[in-house]
Amino acid sequence: MAGNKNSGGYRPNAPQNNPANVSATGGAGQSGNYTGFGYGQNQELNQSRVAGNQAMQSIQANTPKPQGPYGGINMPQLGTLMDDTINPSEPITAGLDFGPGPGSEALPKQFQNNTRPQENMQIVKDYLPDLALAAQSPNAPDSFKRFVNYLAGL
Amino acid sequence: MSDMMFAPGSYFDNIDKFANSLGYQNAAIVMELAAIPWASPEERDMFIVGLTGEDVKGGNEKYYIKNKF
Repeated sequence: MAGNKNSGGYRPNAPQNNPANVSATGGAGQSGNYTGFGYGQNQELNQSRVAGNQAMQSIQANTPKPQGPYGGINMPQLGTLMDDTINPSEPITAGLDFGPGPGSEALPKQFQNNTRPQENMQIVKDYLPDLALAAQSPNAPDSFKRFVNYLAGL
Repeated sequence: MSDMMFAPGSYFDNIDKFANSLGYQNAAIVMELAAIPWASPEERDMFIVGLTGEDVKGGNEKYYIKNKF
């Protein structure tokens, strides 16, 4: 039988003899999830799989585990619309164009798209006939009529 | 019917108070807030005062502007 002349025997250049060929993820062995300690460390534990597993579990239990992408960050809980403000030094109307605090010019640019003209035109389209009818009521306050006049002029 | 149309706490009364307190240019949010079933006109007014920091406007300005309607 004409075999490969390189087969068999100890080959110094074989992959298993190359010290650079080390798995980046390590190996879990064949007889359990115990990955053990480094060679020469805790030799008795290394020789006992049960005790080794217990030792590794106790070590892993004391290691802080990642808690998702925001683990460890103290995020404030989201409240409801009627909750007290969590920033009492800032007026609740900050960012709006009425009430105390800065107006919409203080908002980031992506929030500054002014859609009010379009919204108001939609209001005119949807509500103006009924509002105009109500404005003809003898009890309609002048302030209400002024608002309807404003919408009619848009 | 027309007597009740602008009764305190009615829908049109809400529109009047929100429009004159928040500004006519905020008509869209005025209509949204006016549609909320407020427990009472006082609760609604407290909301407006809390929002604007000013007294509620509208509803009591009689014969101030000659209107088209």
